[in-house]
Amino acid sequence: METKLAENGTSLDEKQDPKRICSSLLGIQGKIDSLIGRFESFMLATGVLLMAGNTVANVIGRYIFQHSLFFTEEVNRILIILITFAGVGYAARQGRHIRMSAIYDALPVRMRKFLMITISVVTAGMMFLLCYFSLAYIGKVMASGRVLPALQIPVWWIFVWVPLGFFMTGLQYLLTAVKNILEKDVYLSTSVLEGYDDTEIEI
Amino acid sequence: MAAAMMLAMIILLLLGFPMMVPLIIAALIGFYEIFGGVGKMDFMVQQFLTGIRPASLIAVPMFILAADIMTRGESARRMIDMVMAFIGHVKGGLAVSTATACTLFGAVSGSTQATVVAVGSPLRPRMLKAGYKDSFILALIVNSSDIAFLIPPSIGMIIYGVVSNTSIAELFIAGIGPGLLILLFFTVYSVIYATLTNVPTEPKASWGERLTAVRQAVWPLGFPVIIIGGIYGGVFSPTEAAAACVLYAIILEFLVFRSLNLPDIYAIAKSTGLITAVVFILVAAGSAFSWVISFAQIPQAMLGAIGITEMGAIGVLFVISIAFFIGCMFVDPIVVILVLVPIFAPVVKSVGLDPVLVGTIITLQVAIGSATPPFGCDIFTAIAIFKRPYLDVVRGTPPFVLMLLSVAVLLIFFPEIALTLRDVAFR
Amino acid sequence: EKWRYAFEESLTEVQGVYATKFKEEIEANSDHEVLLFPYGTLGESADIMEQAQAGILQFVDQSPGFTGSLIPEAQVFFVPYLLPTDQEHLSRFYKNSKAINEDFKDLYANQGLELLNMFPEGEVAMTTKDPVTGCEDLNEVKFRVMTNPLLVESYKAFGAIPTPLPWGEVYGGLQLNIIQGQENPTFFLYSTKIYEVTDHITYAGHNNFTTAVMANKEFFDGLSPADQKVVNDAAAAAYDYIVSYQQGLAEQELDKIKKAKPEMTVTVLSEEQRSCFKDAAKDVEAKFIEMTGDSGKAILDQLKADLKATM
Ligand code: NA
Ligand code: NA
Repeated sequence: METKLAENGTSLDEKQDPKRICSSLLGIQGKIDSLIGRFESFMLATGVLLMAGNTVANVIGRYIFQHSLFFTEEVNRILIILITFAGVGYAARQGRHIRMSAIYDALPVRMRKFLMITISVVTAGMMFLLCYFSLAYIGKVMASGRVLPALQIPVWWIFVWVPLGFFMTGLQYLLTAVKNILEKDVYLSTSVLEGYDDTEIEI
Repeated sequence: MAAAMMLAMIILLLLGFPMMVPLIIAALIGFYEIFGGVGKMDFMVQQFLTGIRPASLIAVPMFILAADIMTRGESARRMIDMVMAFIGHVKGGLAVSTATACTLFGAVSGSTQATVVAVGSPLRPRMLKAGYKDSFILALIVNSSDIAFLIPPSIGMIIYGVVSNTSIAELFIAGIGPGLLILLFFTVYSVIYATLTNVPTEPKASWGERLTAVRQAVWPLGFPVIIIGGIYGGVFSPTEAAAACVLYAIILEFLVFRSLNLPDIYAIAKSTGLITAVVFILVAAGSAFSWVISFAQIPQAMLGAIGITEMGAIGVLFVISIAFFIGCMFVDPIVVILVLVPIFAPVVKSVGLDPVLVGTIITLQVAIGSATPPFGCDIFTAIAIFKRPYLDVVRGTPPFVLMLLSVAVLLIFFPEIALTLRDVAFR
Repeated sequence: EKWRYAFEESLTEVQGVYATKFKEEIEANSDHEVLLFPYGTLGESADIMEQAQAGILQFVDQSPGFTGSLIPEAQVFFVPYLLPTDQEHLSRFYKNSKAINEDFKDLYANQGLELLNMFPEGEVAMTTKDPVTGCEDLNEVKFRVMTNPLLVESYKAFGAIPTPLPWGEVYGGLQLNIIQGQENPTFFLYSTKIYEVTDHITYAGHNNFTTAVMANKEFFDGLSPADQKVVNDAAAAAYDYIVSYQQGLAEQELDKIKKAKPEMTVTVLSEEQRSCFKDAAKDVEAKFIEMTGDSGKAILDQLKADLKATM
């Protein structure tokens, strides 16, 4: 990692100053982007905490009130969808999606940059495609009128995160491509330079 | 079609695309070929959602959250200090303790991913500090966690039992022998490794120091009580035990140790969500991929071509092992069991193999596959939680896979490893 | 042409046996091929249903218990003591019922599905850790039910603590005593090894498990009259086959259970012991009507009339 930074001619600290990361894209765009980031991370944290609360409540209900919460399982299912799809976009923003970078890492900078732009564009395309497919799928579920057996709410409600998550992820990758075209360094995401970093970036 | 899918997947994987993309593109190719167009592709999304539906998956974020609270707070350190007070002076002691802790935790929790997080995240820094190489540590954690498949309760064995009409109780018993044998192999390897690479040991702690360490760890020892006592005692399901651990961890770290504050828990929950998401999106994409494989009946076509009916019992066991090993390289283990077991069922019956032995061998292969690149949930979890590149996580894997495969071969030639305990209990 | 058929059980269980017979009939009487997809290979029950509705699958077997979220009236099959335990009577009933062959056919058609058959999978038995001789023995028992509101109501009315759990967690839950009971047809108790982790089987006669086989409607309507006849004949032949296949099946499977676990007790409740279950059934029936309104009541009344007519 040290060599990579030297090669790029910049230090990680300088580039990853939190204030700069908050809105690495300039102006109003950056503000909206950072707002979305905040919202995604809020949904993520809340989703996880609600899941813990819901599961504990079920245990307490069963032992203290002799009554299982019949909806616990469904609520957790809703939350896991929320966590996954709110998290996909957030992970894209943080450059945390899992990849096999061995060959990529061995390439010279110019090649890496070209490859990163290709990867970002293709990934963005796939995400937008899946966003479109998930809208189509939700349409089908909506038309069928299927409801959750315990909560009796329409099933499609719990899927609305899916297209949203795909769209936000696609957008992030698209912006990453733009960023890589505009800037000198190679970026894993709009806010993260390539290279593995042990410090978490907080938004 | 299968060839085009595999080729696209491997090329994109090697080029460094985010792993969900190769899976998605391979699945898209499959969907396109099957339906001759894009008309039905919205069902990819259905399969994404199916992949993350199983209730047992909920235990994963819960254990991640509990482990993260314990690690950032005091609990994990105090527990490890206690263990170190007893084994710190033994060559390879820390590695052996890690492997044992993974086996125990995995056995009880039933979730290999949760094990990687819960045991790995507090112990990896300590092992690094003790002088072990990261590649060894990561491979040890991932592979020891996968022993969980073999030791009851095991979701893989339950699925196999239901699909193949085999006694689940017998499978559970049969898994214990091979599971312990693997742990023994890993233990021996850890000690040899520590000796060869000359990992330094700590001075032997006095009984006074040990007593202090135990005292320090009294509160955190509630975690094993909740998990082991709670699950085996019939108080909690594994998921609920995980949630109970979250509650207990919050109480300990906030009220007893006062090591964390409210903003900390928000940050920890967020990081738990992030790790969950990057792993689960791959589980989801993998589910779409395996749907295509299953729908196109590709395994049937491939197995039909090799003429398995001509082979004897040993040959059949080898083919089964190889098929499950390859299957689990690319597809989620549960799906592999669901798809492949019915295909092999007639052959297993016709050569007169003991279905409990077959189930044990399959479960072992599934465990190996979960730790074997390219597709393995436990590898993904390790990447996400430890923030190491893919290659770093799998670099130390070969010796472990070799040991696991040798146990598989031993099991084929000496079925007693699995069946002795079963016969004592049931025959 | 290749037709795809998915079902909710494994190949050797009742739905799988029906599907295998159906496949044989189709392949013997036409040049079409039927590919079978057992439990889990293409997703769960709700997934294969959606795939059948979308025409990705040509045939699907889904039990009305799972169809409840799509067609609420289908939950009528969970009203306790509605269906008799006499298998002969049941086999006449499914074949000739107007409620099934006309009313439900229309309800399924609205969902893009052609109902081919409904058939019984056997009397539902309770398996528990402690003996059950009446409602009072279910008191405080955490009883696993499918995630289905009417089933939850039933066991609440029986006095148990209904605990909805996904099937994958049932074996472990019983072994670890998180739940103390569950219900299923006899063959399923054996094939899924649930008997290993419970000690008592009780027949209260409160229900018979019903399942339904459907084709995608667009696909079916688009078939030539000759092919439609092949499909209908195959369904009829598979129906007759599965009814005779199940004669004595419950007893056989029960014998296998007793052989594997001699200490297992099997109890058939007497009329008197059943009385409190039957009283509870009235509340459940009222709940069903409350949940499904007039159309539910109409189906219920028609089913009762059909049952009387096929006595
Ligand atoms: Na286990
Ligand atoms: Na793998």
